[in-house]
Amino acid sequence: MVAVSLRDARLSLLTQTSLRGTAYGAALAQLLDDTLTDLYGEGGQSPTAVVALGSYGRRELCPGSDVDVMLLHGAKARGRTAVGALAERLWYPLWDASFVTGHATRTVKESLALADEDLDALTAIVEARHVCGDDALTTELVGRGRQLMERRSARVLDALAGAAERRRVRPGPVAEVLEPDLKDGAGGLRDLQALEWAGYALGVRGIAGLVERGILSGDDAERLAVARECLLDQRVALHRTTGGRSDQLALQEQDAVAVLVGASDADALVHELATAARDVAWIARDVWMRVAEDGSAGGAADRILAEGVALRDNRVTLLYDYEVTALRVLEAAAAAAEVDAPFDRTTLVQLRDMAAPTWDVWERAAFLRLLREGERAVSVFEALDHEGVLVRLVPEWGHVRSRPQRNAYHRFTVDRHLLEAVAECARLLDLADAQPIEFDGIAARACRRPELLLLGALLHDIGKGMPGDHSDVGARTAEVFARRIGLDSEGREILSWLVRNHLLMADTATRRDLSDAAVADNFAAACAGDAERLRLLYLLTIGDSRATGPAAWGVSKAALLRDLFVKAGVAIERGAATAVATDRREALCEMVGKDAATAFLDQLPDAYLLAFDAEEAVGHVAMLREGSAIRCHPAEGHVTITVVEPDRPGLLATLAGGLTVCGLNVTEAFLFGTAGGVALDVFRATDPYGRLSDGVDRVEATLRDALRGEIDLDRRVADRERDYRRTNGEKGPVEVHINLGESATDTLVEVHTDDELGLLYSLARAFAALELDVRVAKVHTLGERVVDVFYVRDAGGAKVEDPARLEELRATLVERLRA
Amino acid sequence: MKLVTAIIKPFKLDDVKSALQEAGVQGMTVMEVQGFGRQRGHTEVYRGAEYTIDFVPKVKIEVLVDDGDAVPVAEKIMEAARTGKIGDGKVWILAAESVYRIRTGEAGSDAL
Repeated sequence: MVAVSLRDARLSLLTQTSLRGTAYGAALAQLLDDTLTDLYGEGGQSPTAVVALGSYGRRELCPGSDVDVMLLHGAKARGRTAVGALAERLWYPLWDASFVTGHATRTVKESLALADEDLDALTAIVEARHVCGDDALTTELVGRGRQLMERRSARVLDALAGAAERRRVRPGPVAEVLEPDLKDGAGGLRDLQALEWAGYALGVRGIAGLVERGILSGDDAERLAVARECLLDQRVALHRTTGGRSDQLALQEQDAVAVLVGASDADALVHELATAARDVAWIARDVWMRVAEDGSAGGAADRILAEGVALRDNRVTLLYDYEVTALRVLEAAAAAAEVDAPFDRTTLVQLRDMAAPTWDVWERAAFLRLLREGERAVSVFEALDHEGVLVRLVPEWGHVRSRPQRNAYHRFTVDRHLLEAVAECARLLDLADAQPIEFDGIAARACRRPELLLLGALLHDIGKGMPGDHSDVGARTAEVFARRIGLDSEGREILSWLVRNHLLMADTATRRDLSDAAVADNFAAACAGDAERLRLLYLLTIGDSRATGPAAWGVSKAALLRDLFVKAGVAIERGAATAVATDRREALCEMVGKDAATAFLDQLPDAYLLAFDAEEAVGHVAMLREGSAIRCHPAEGHVTITVVEPDRPGLLATLAGGLTVCGLNVTEAFLFGTAGGVALDVFRATDPYGRLSDGVDRVEATLRDALRGEIDLDRRVADRERDYRRTNGEKGPVEVHINLGESATDTLVEVHTDDELGLLYSLARAFAALELDVRVAKVHTLGERVVDVFYVRDAGGAKVEDPARLEELRATLVERLRA
Repeated sequence: MKLVTAIIKPFKLDDVKSALQEAGVQGMTVMEVQGFGRQRGHTEVYRGAEYTIDFVPKVKIEVLVDDGDAVPVAEKIMEAARTGKIGDGKVWILAAESVYRIRTGEAGSDAL
């Protein structure tokens, strides 16, 4: 039986998992060709031909594909019975072997008549492939089909472009949705086929013809070929996994598919797919736009959009005789979004030569203008990404590019989600000018710094894909980015706060009892009593939720958020941050008595009560009473070390050295000097080597010995440095920034360098040697780099401003760090 | 079998979920809903713009249990969801005639 052997042969191909992608498609097509040729035998009396259509014709069959095949004949009415018998002889074994077939028996004339009315029929004919029988018939069909396609060119291209546009909406871009449709998604196999058909409509042979016509570059064609292989490989593997016909790469199938295509895991699978699909989607979209405007453009004068940037034939074009600076790229990008026009093809290539950004005020302004365009900026970002420019503007983007998110809420990969969030936030800002004004519009209108909302939206999830909590890591990354683009200190602080707390408002609104006044008060305190922060976080939360997906946003969440927003706003107007400090002061009074509390707090700055709660303060009061004390208190993920000790030069260096010897890694230090000449120093540290697992006594003992001078800190720290030295020898750059403008009372010294063991010790010793008093130290570790900020005064308690002194300070620090 | 349905304050969902898990309940269905009871909606004023909350956000949960478990489960829910303030919600119990697990076709208590 032909059917039985066909079924066995098909099963054998299915189980040979080494046959992947196009190789599988070719093998299955060959099997069907051979079977049909055998079945056809001598054919019938009148001339006939067996023709393969669709994915069978292209030899792109996947396990679940339909097999489209046609018996072409030239018979008049009288010969039809014989042709029908031949058709049955061909089709039945296919059905019996469980193939799903699309089959037809037609004359050339009938086929063409149908093709004239139905685009699917027409596109099938232009790619038809002769299997067996009278090849003159096939040649006539294909030849006349292609002529028809060329005559109907405008209508066909219009329909293909329209269908491609619809695929971007549903099922959505393959590269950016979490459960992509490999066939019908934008950037999927259908887009590739449509490009082939576009070639025939333009009178050339498919994609190869488009290259000859100069519509596609050779590079584009190569990328498309690579993408085709990837898409078919994954589709064959998907069908093998599910045993079905669905082309949606569901999350639950991704592990199994990854194994079949040899990807290391599901993330690697999705990443490879996204890279391929991104190329297809981008190239296809470019072709449709160019084809649509072919002939209609030309003649109109250039419109200058910015210096060296013009709108020419509705394309944003870099004028040739200018240098490609980052400013010109950013201005071109902003202009492209503003006039909603694509880049000119040559310009895209020029973008790749972009000089490194300097982030002066003009570049920054152009970047922010681009973000403000929201939805229209998305395709510009895609273009910048495609040409590799985006990661040079925002190097952190590399971590989130095409990164999948495996949870029930998200629809998009991280990078696309960030762009969607920018678009949603830009939409919220637009509400500020809407009439009649809506509730959210009032909030948007009140925003003093809307650009921070857009930057916050762009960066809020930038920490995903890096180790650690993504909000914390993201906040530090945002801080570095903000510094790089030259944002002012308030802007940096708010931006980093926004990123760190981007989930706080949604969590509070949905998980806390909003009828409890303390919830709103505490939230107001978390906003540092700043109405601007509250507004920005409220709008960012809405934008983020809307950009996540339908499961993350609804009327219910909107109502809860609004409720919290209004209540926290009222709390801020009442002065809730002060209220928190007042509450803590009162609580402390109750616990230690009014006089003791007042005496204690009077010698500390106001910020003390925002950094520590009443219970911690009680501990501090008790320690101060002792005059000298050390407490080490481990908590989840970090450890707090509190030291009370008579103040003296070099105290910070001694403590930092002692902590280093204990193997602790200091992340934050609060240093207070009291009027009585006693220092209260609080360190937050991590314990990377798990030294605290057997108790904290050793830490306290070590610090005590260090304070008594019984430890040779220089030697012990040097020993540890030798033992724990990083193996890769290359040292990163050392930067020291001194800022006099940010604080009226202190000089800010900011140090960027490689994270090294004993770094804080080394810096503290340098300050001590220069007779400078360190009052606050903030230590941020970013992978292998650290950014440390010190607030220092001179020995007399004055801000250091003398240029010679500052230069000496800078030189000393640099020298120590380079050593 | 009984269907226990409850309307609770959204922020109490985690508490109710933990309480039911401790009580051995295998699964529940959660919906975000809006409505009003005796609490009614309320009106807030923000920067001169008045906005009315006609329907208050609530969470609706449904749990299918054996007959004997219905009242204890309802009590667990009440205990976990109670704040003592207005708008804490309601719990009610309905008879569920038949229950099937779709994947296996199991019926009755086996399908819970």
